[in-house]
Amino acid sequence: MDLLKEMIDLIIGRKEFFLNLLWEHFYISFSSIVIASVIGITLGIVISEYRGSSKIILGVINFIYTIPSIALLGILIPFSGIGNVTAMIALSIYALLPMVRNTFTGITNVDERVIEAARGMGSTRFQILYKIKIPIALPVIMSGFRNMVTMTIALAGIASFIGAGGLGTAIYRGITTNNTAMTLTGSLMIAILALVVDGMLGFFEKMSGRRNRKKRKVRIILCGGMIALLIIGIAGNMIRSNQNSEKIVRIATKPVTEQYIIGEILKEIIEQDTDITVELTQGIGGGTSNIMPGMQSGEFDMYPEYTCTGWNLVLGHTGVYDESMYSKLRKEYEESYDFTWKGQMGFSNAYALAVSKEVAEKYGLKTCSDLQKVSGQLVFGAEYDFFERPDGYGKMCEIYGFTFKNVRDVDIGLKYQAVNEGKIDVMDVFTTDGQLSKAQVVILEDDKGYFSSAKEGIVIRREVLQKYPELETVFKKLENTVDNEAMAEMNYQVEEGKKDTKDVAHTFLLEKGLLKGAEE
Amino acid sequence: MEPIIKYQDVKKVYGEKTIVEHFNLSIEKGEFLTIIGSSGSGKTTILKMVNGLIIPDEGTVFVEGKDILKEDLIQLRRNIGYAIQGSVLFPNMTVEKNIAYVPNLLNDKKEKTNQAVQKWIRIAGLEEELLNRYPDELSGGQQQRVGIARALAASPEILLMDEPFGAVDEITRGELQREIKRIHEETNITILFVTHDINEAMTLGSKVLVMNAGAIDQYGTPEEIMSLPKTDFVRKLVANSRK
Repeated sequence: MDLLKEMIDLIIGRKEFFLNLLWEHFYISFSSIVIASVIGITLGIVISEYRGSSKIILGVINFIYTIPSIALLGILIPFSGIGNVTAMIALSIYALLPMVRNTFTGITNVDERVIEAARGMGSTRFQILYKIKIPIALPVIMSGFRNMVTMTIALAGIASFIGAGGLGTAIYRGITTNNTAMTLTGSLMIAILALVVDGMLGFFEKMSGRRNRKKRKVRIILCGGMIALLIIGIAGNMIRSNQNSEKIVRIATKPVTEQYIIGEILKEIIEQDTDITVELTQGIGGGTSNIMPGMQSGEFDMYPEYTCTGWNLVLGHTGVYDESMYSKLRKEYEESYDFTWKGQMGFSNAYALAVSKEVAEKYGLKTCSDLQKVSGQLVFGAEYDFFERPDGYGKMCEIYGFTFKNVRDVDIGLKYQAVNEGKIDVMDVFTTDGQLSKAQVVILEDDKGYFSSAKEGIVIRREVLQKYPELETVFKKLENTVDNEAMAEMNYQVEEGKKDTKDVAHTFLLEKGLLKGAEE
Repeated sequence: MEPIIKYQDVKKVYGEKTIVEHFNLSIEKGEFLTIIGSSGSGKTTILKMVNGLIIPDEGTVFVEGKDILKEDLIQLRRNIGYAIQGSVLFPNMTVEKNIAYVPNLLNDKKEKTNQAVQKWIRIAGLEEELLNRYPDELSGGQQQRVGIARALAASPEILLMDEPFGAVDEITRGELQREIKRIHEETNITILFVTHDINEAMTLGSKVLVMNAGAIDQYGTPEEIMSLPKTDFVRKLVANSRK
């Protein structure tokens, strides 16, 4: 019941946000549906007229259909980049199969004798097709179409994974910021949209059914409606893209709570201090691996990154990163990508070990080396990822000589709870974890420098910086304004306090006196 | 007078099987030719050669003196009525659209098409209120009548019928036979009518063609066939008809 109330509050409070997502969702699915219908029906007709080709074409389309959607999106990113276009291509490709198959089945199942009658009466091949075959196959094609529409609307939910809009954004954001109400609202709205559209199609199908003598009128209304929707869609998008004429920078963020907040901070302050408009694409699935291609192709101008991720994942170095290597990191970025690092806000989202306050006091633990002496009496818990990664558990035990009494796999969302309940004594944390700010735990100093430093900074294309040098001043203002505790606190407000990232960002800027109104 | 349809040394082979060979026949204008024979005797093959649905491997088919392969087959077919077994109406069209099918292919004049539809539902003995119905809302007999009206709607010179009354009960069949006979008398159209029912062939035909194993056993008026059967096969057929 609480959840229901939370969802209702969310919808009322952020009506505009959800309406916008709904519109985007509709736009993405509708475009894909139109594309898939045109191509799918055409292909279906072609392979039913030239049956020799049907096996190959259906085989290929069947094969594509079996590619998992996430993988297909990944495959498409290098070609069509990140965003709506890729989403539409992927959705159209999936939607092809039901259209092609149903068109093919519908047409090939038309009674041969009916076709011979039509032929014997002097119909051309084309006349047989459009006067006989297609009208008779129409109910089968229509059932494929309805299937496809529902499927596409549902599948469009994953489009947000690659930075496209739509209601999936709410789901994805809900998951990454621990906001169940938002995830549920997004899912529910997708389900309702699919049901409503399917219901409408069913209604129109009935109305235009051959038993209905007024079908001509219904058909006209239906066609008119479709055309009107198409025009509205195109016009709506033109109005949106018209905004491109002004000065614009595009910022991407990864699907983690603090990046959502940083994104909002950047947007608000850049738009306040300069006449640049910020286009914010929040929470790109796959993070760095999907944002970097977008940066290289110029789809994005900047994004918040962590130094060790840049060092290890982007530049491909192995080994521990520490901040003494920062200038080298920057130099390599400039040489390899013509990107640079700017505006470090001060916090580091690195791995660290934490123990419960009780345990820390009991054994007098301050550093990881202290922990080594008592590790035989303690239970260690972490999410499976930490056990798997090469710079994770195994190597850590080797360097520090830990021999824990027991080791447990704990879900990342339940780690803090497990420590509080005493089920585990030691765990890995990220130094800006939202729950860290309230949990009864102590972070142990990494005195042997085992964990890489992960200071946040903005990776920006140098070209953009030259074009808009005023951004430098903005970045300067943000430097060293947030330490680990402050970031953890902001994360907490979003994840547990259920505050909007935008509000948290605004409050931050206000408190730091960075907003113009606040100076007086 | 020049025959309206002429087969000249026609041969048709499917795979290993020869369907017809050395087939020669001339059909006079206004004839009601019934074609009867055992199944696989080539009677449907002969029929479909007239409108080019089946092209002979050897020999020539002339319609109104012209080699059909040198003509535009689409145009030729529009001027030849075609009705097949079970009539096979277009299920997606109303009765009216079914009947108007060929007139619509031939011209865009609504007025003319409407007149043709009105004329032919009357001749085929259909009520006007059926025009807006769909084929599956009709009885078997009504469907056959629509099939006949559809085949005749463009007022063709030739009507090809392939066991058109195969799928209806005896009573309806009798009615339809009288109907088609009346239409033939009224319009003086040339009809080729394939059947496997000797009684139907004898009742309807002004000439009867008896086919057996791809060749003509006998060709003549019903009276000639009845009184002077040429082969055992014809004798057997005739004997059946007397039962």
